[in-house]
Amino acid sequence: MSTIECRNLRKDYRRGEEVIHTLQDVDLDIHGGSFVALMGPSGSGKTTLLNLLAGIDRPTGGTITIGGRDIGTLGRNALAAWRSANVGYIFQLYNLVPVLTAYENVEMPLLLHPLSNKERHQRVTEALELVGLADRYLHYPRQLSGGQEQRVAIARAIVTRPSMILADEPTGDLDRTSAMQVMDLLVRLNKERNQAIVMVTHDPSTAARAGRIVHLEKGKIIDAAEFAHATRTTTIGAHQ
Amino acid sequence: MNSFLRTIPFTWKNLVRRPLRTGLTVAGIAVATFLFSFVESMRDGVSKATEAGAAETRLVVYRKNRFCPFASQLPQSYQRSILSIEGVKSAVPIKIVVNNCRASLDVVTFRGVPDEGYLQEHIAKAQLRSGSISDWQSRGDAVLIGAALADRRRLRAGDRFDAAGVRSWVAGVFESDDAQDRNVAYAHLGFLQETAQRGGTGGIVTQFNVEVEDPAKMEAVAAAIDEAFAHDQYPTTTRPESAFVARAARDVIVLVRFASIVGWASLAAVFALIANAIALAVRDRIRDHAILQTLGWTGADIAWMVVMEASMLGATGGAIGAIGAHAAIALTHLNFTMEGVSIEVTASNAATLAGVLLATLLGAVAGVVPALSAARREIVQGFRTT
Repeated sequence: MSTIECRNLRKDYRRGEEVIHTLQDVDLDIHGGSFVALMGPSGSGKTTLLNLLAGIDRPTGGTITIGGRDIGTLGRNALAAWRSANVGYIFQLYNLVPVLTAYENVEMPLLLHPLSNKERHQRVTEALELVGLADRYLHYPRQLSGGQEQRVAIARAIVTRPSMILADEPTGDLDRTSAMQVMDLLVRLNKERNQAIVMVTHDPSTAARAGRIVHLEKGKIIDAAEFAHATRTTTIGAHQ
Repeated sequence: MNSFLRTIPFTWKNLVRRPLRTGLTVAGIAVATFLFSFVESMRDGVSKATEAGAAETRLVVYRKNRFCPFASQLPQSYQRSILSIEGVKSAVPIKIVVNNCRASLDVVTFRGVPDEGYLQEHIAKAQLRSGSISDWQSRGDAVLIGAALADRRRLRAGDRFDAAGVRSWVAGVFESDDAQDRNVAYAHLGFLQETAQRGGTGGIVTQFNVEVEDPAKMEAVAAAIDEAFAHDQYPTTTRPESAFVARAARDVIVLVRFASIVGWASLAAVFALIANAIALAVRDRIRDHAILQTLGWTGADIAWMVVMEASMLGATGGAIGAIGAHAAIALTHLNFTMEGVSIEVTASNAATLAGVLLATLLGAVAGVVPALSAARREIVQGFRTT
């Protein structure tokens, strides 16, 4: 299982003359097979960190080593191949391709893998069965509920059997029941398949399902006590 | 390469599962390609009729400074003088009667030819679709009709045919490779001279078709013929048949050249249409492309999908338009006739193929810029844009 090591990780964005320091000297270790929740207020850098771990964004400074490989040194195509083999990404808004059926959406990442049609079919069917949507394989995203769409997105994320699953607020757009089902599924995947999961969430009860919670505040990792204080201060400030 | 091939079904689904957008774009491309292929077929017909081949051996002797069969009057007795000129193999007096001397899409041309020799030799080259030459010989008012004219006027052997003041009986219908033959009704020379009653009767013909022995001596023989009658009451102008057709069809040639510009402009419209459709599609799918790249597809894969989609649009619209033009031409048997000569718009395989290939190529080219923009966009930027 891959171990994720972030050292002095920085990410800056430019907005005109202004430089926004989204992540500042982040050091983080995530062991293979663990379930980590990233928490923090909006703008704290959670999604940016997740994007850097997924290799869909590049750091301004520092290194990200996953499974002994510094992904910052990979070229665009090599990074794409690495993503295809190692990362399953779950978005808050599902991000299924609207012209493809549930089956075809799940099949999409497998087209990049050297599998026979039979193997591909087997893997897609397994993934859809795992998320409980085997009977909806011909449905288009518009014919599915939000919870079902997210489960298809999870099937798409796990179908390549990646070493880690990155989830950006996977329950953020779902009702309570659907959110519960999705979380149950993620916990099950983590336990049964021993896949590392890094999940961004705002919701403390969702975060509580993870094995470890990492708090981010203004682009920096802070400890739980600091986080509680910062959250309280923010809440009081908001009420004033 | 493998992942490129695997994008084909996805690209196809993107097209067929957005039927309105695809349908409208393909319809636009089809109309423009139809126009292009149609015009190219017209141009092809004009080229075939007016460009001299290396083996051309036929001269047309016409009355000097006259441009319409009604006005061209030559004594039939010229035949003997023409035959005596060195290099002349045969000379056939022909009386031509048309129902309209100006350019038109439905002109009926009667050619009166001698009872013996000419038609028997001439039609032997072609294939009789129905009737027989002996039927033609047996009746004074009989005509043998070219296939294109017969199809246009829905005539069959045994029908009565009345046009240009000539009331005739259809003795047969024949196929021919020659556009001039496919669009005429061959009548007996004497019958036409007597029936038409225009420009004199017996003894007056419209032109002579002269076969020369050596194609290299066409000009010399033509000059000798014109020289022989230069000081007669009926001076002549003699030209190779293709040049004769080109002169008669000069207005149509100019028109077709202009139409050709319109045809190429319609291809520019194909380019603009595909470029617009693809640019909009790429803008609409920024998020989809970001998703695919997150899943591991490369920028090159995305670019390939975009170019392929544009090419598929071009190929589909181009095929519908070009094949539609081919079918329309084949079914309508269009031909322009002016001053008694015909230019046929024939369904050209080359024009059809050119229409399909050019539309596909233009599609691919139109897709390049949107493809590059899609390929270069950063993934995170793609998610932020939408």
